[in-house]
Amino acid sequence: MSGLYLFARIAGTPVAICTDEIEAVVRLQELSPVPGVPSHVAGLSALRSRVLTILDAAALITGQPITESGSERYAIVCGISGHSYGILVDRVDDIRAVSASPMPVSGKLAPEWIPYASGVIEDEGQPYFIVQLVSFLDNNAAMQAA
Amino acid sequence: MDELLSEFIAETQESLEALANVVVALETDPSDRKLLDELFRFFHTVKGSCGFLHLPRFERLSHAAEDVLSDIRASDVPPDAATISAVLAVMDRIAELCEAVASGQSLPDTNDDQLIEALHHCYRMALATPSEHASIAAEALPANVVAIGDPSLKASTSRTIRLPLSLIDQLMNGVSDMVLARNEMSRKMRVSDINTELESSFERLSSCIADMRDTISKTRMQRVDRLFMAVPRMVRDLSRELGKTINLTIEGGDVEMDREMVEMVIDPLTHIVRNSVDHGIETPEQRRAAGKPEAGNLRLFARQAGSQIVIEVADDGRGIDVDAVVAKVIAAGGLQAKDLANMSEQAKLDLIFTPGLTTASQVTAVSGRGVGMDIVRANIERIGGVISLDNAPGQGLTITMRVPLTLTIIPGLLLSAGGLSFAIPRSAIVEILRDNNPTVSINQIGGALTATIRGVRYSMIDLESVIGLPIAEHTGPRTLMVVRSASGKPYILGVSQVENHEELVIRPAAPIVMAAGIYAGMTLPDNGQPMLLLDADGIAKAAELPLVADMVETTTESADEAAKSRHYYAGLRFIELTGEERVIRLSLVERVEDVPIGAFDDKAGRTYVVIEGRIIPCVGDVNAHLAHGASEITCMRLRDGRRELCYPVRSVVDIDDVPVELDLVASRGIVAGVVLINGRHIEVIDGFALFASAPEPAAENDGSPARCVIADKEDSWNREILAPLLLQAGYEIIWGGEADTVRSGDVVLVTSEHMPDDLAAVPTPVIRLRSDSSPVGPDDASIYRYDRARLLDAISSVGERRSVA
Repeated sequence: MSGLYLFARIAGTPVAICTDEIEAVVRLQELSPVPGVPSHVAGLSALRSRVLTILDAAALITGQPITESGSERYAIVCGISGHSYGILVDRVDDIRAVSASPMPVSGKLAPEWIPYASGVIEDEGQPYFIVQLVSFLDNNAAMQAA
Repeated sequence: MDELLSEFIAETQESLEALANVVVALETDPSDRKLLDELFRFFHTVKGSCGFLHLPRFERLSHAAEDVLSDIRASDVPPDAATISAVLAVMDRIAELCEAVASGQSLPDTNDDQLIEALHHCYRMALATPSEHASIAAEALPANVVAIGDPSLKASTSRTIRLPLSLIDQLMNGVSDMVLARNEMSRKMRVSDINTELESSFERLSSCIADMRDTISKTRMQRVDRLFMAVPRMVRDLSRELGKTINLTIEGGDVEMDREMVEMVIDPLTHIVRNSVDHGIETPEQRRAAGKPEAGNLRLFARQAGSQIVIEVADDGRGIDVDAVVAKVIAAGGLQAKDLANMSEQAKLDLIFTPGLTTASQVTAVSGRGVGMDIVRANIERIGGVISLDNAPGQGLTITMRVPLTLTIIPGLLLSAGGLSFAIPRSAIVEILRDNNPTVSINQIGGALTATIRGVRYSMIDLESVIGLPIAEHTGPRTLMVVRSASGKPYILGVSQVENHEELVIRPAAPIVMAAGIYAGMTLPDNGQPMLLLDADGIAKAAELPLVADMVETTTESADEAAKSRHYYAGLRFIELTGEERVIRLSLVERVEDVPIGAFDDKAGRTYVVIEGRIIPCVGDVNAHLAHGASEITCMRLRDGRRELCYPVRSVVDIDDVPVELDLVASRGIVAGVVLINGRHIEVIDGFALFASAPEPAAENDGSPARCVIADKEDSWNREILAPLLLQAGYEIIWGGEADTVRSGDVVLVTSEHMPDDLAAVPTPVIRLRSDSSPVGPDDASIYRYDRARLLDAISSVGERRSVA
């Protein structure tokens, strides 16, 4: 099975996201902070007349908020159950079609990645975690319930 | 056309179109079960809906087709082509009928039966063995079963299309984008050099966008009918179940409101109607015993008032037994008996909103499970509405819900706290003050903040402590907002400052944000910076403000204040000729009409207007503020029961509920003060001052005027000064001092110097006038002749005596 993947880095880890899930990748302008919510909610951002809820993927996975890399902050825009989200990533590398099939995760996975890495895909000899954006929200709910 | 009916027609036509392919496929392969199933479902649906709508022809046709198809489905024998075409003929007839209903014409009911007959005939033929064929065929097969619809009938009604909601929402979003882009552009234009030409084309673009936004907003509107649609059925079912007779009246179904809003109001409305039918309206026996007609009345009524929709549910049942409510609340431990003394009737009535309360002595299947009015109120308030009760024990109950026209665009306040900006619905705010206001005192006891405003104590919380941010260093005073809460007891929310107010487009916030419990949604104000909308109730809950407990401890003062604040009267809002917006008590206004300019006239420093042959004093200066070229002017005709006034205005706006208590007492001229209506400051006309400032009318003309006899017509003062005064005051004057003349009058006026001798003999009362300003002695009953007030008073009191006699 081949597919089109967006290659990016979250908390320093290379990840691949299936482009079917993605609406756009935007460079973020100013964020309006949201107090009183879990720390991985980085804030709100306006995308034309839409308001995106920005999630910091690194903060969610490792507990460490994303390191500021200047003003260049990219978010992957996606719509999940009727709401628009932007997932903050360290950087976006490329979008490529990959002919190889996804493989199950092998080796001992760091515990923080267990809920998110659904597989591994190799591209040009480099392995990438396959992540599904929706998992960033599902696991939230679980965390809050706990 | 009835909405249900048109929906049915639209749906049927849609399914017919979709089935066109099925028909074609079925003709080529009559044995295809899936296609048959689809056809069957169509007839089944049509039959189901048209039975409900009372469309007997549809029902008969679809019923026949459904019967045949279900037999075919049940048996293994594939239908033959003849049966299928007979089914299709029925389908075509249904299509024709749809067309006819949609265009409001009738279709001759000549051969529906023939169609059905043909259908049965074909089906029997298909089942029969060859030997039976002859006998069946011998039955007269109806001839000429052809379409009888007139093709010219097509589409004479206004055309409508059905669109997916998501498409409309997308359109709406697109327009919002446009509005934002325009705002950004106008910001940029403000800082750059102004080019008149550019500006005028920008203006045109702006107005186009505004128009478009309005139009798109209309697509979201829906008639309130939709809200009321389920009510008749529900009332019928319930009343039957409970053995009650109820006359249901529904009015104002053509009022339009936001579709989402309709959805939000359905549940509370259903609950209220159920309550009315179950608890409110008594059984026929009880009603008879109470001297009421056996059939109860239930009235649903909707109207638009400004940017709100008012929905009233009124019944003439037993009303709320306030004592029972109070007893229940006390029994549930929510209230101490000693608190009762301090509570107003209205406050007691509002206990009906106490969570978990039911007054039903037993739980019925219909209602009374303790999920009650508190939920109704919470639901209404969540959408920025208010609910109020008007209880007449034994006579009935009227519940009024006021909800905003639309959910998505609400008036909001932008505020800052902890260096961030937030929005809050304006409907949640009762009052805004600064903390350095002399009527405010803030105390801190064991970490708990309380604020006392004009003698009323409120729980207080700083927004910063709710959201966990430090209170920003701020040079000026902080702002306190008195915020409504679900429990009915307001609390104080402290913020850095209130910055602006704006119409806000509200979007739902992501679940993860909503989970914080203090936000109601998010919004993108004109400045383009996304912002969260605060949830007033949520904040109170998050801060764990003891609102419910506090409500019980209300002092007499605050209970009175609460009661006072709930007193309203109907006021007419209007725009003055000078442009101010004011409100006047509706009961003073007799009517509003357009009066031609020519009827106005300035005399003696005042303006008068001639209406229906009478001169009526006019308030204000018409000519100074006349719109150029206007030929008529809108006037309110006021009446204090006796006197009439004409009050020219630029326009009449709306009828509002005006609080009896003024928010700001600032008496100036005919203005009594200022009240807050829908968040706007509006001056209230002082009816007393208005009529007091108007000139006395010429004496009343009812009955014949009193006749005044002036004894001495030679006296020039009598002739030139007294007589005109009396005439002007509406009296008839008779000259002459002779006894006969005097007897014919009602009162005699004499100047002391010329007292005729024979007057003592006549019964007519006498008023003596003297030329000295001070009386001669203590027995002198005469009136100084220039004391106009006393003189007229004396004459009119004589006149009254006359009329009493």
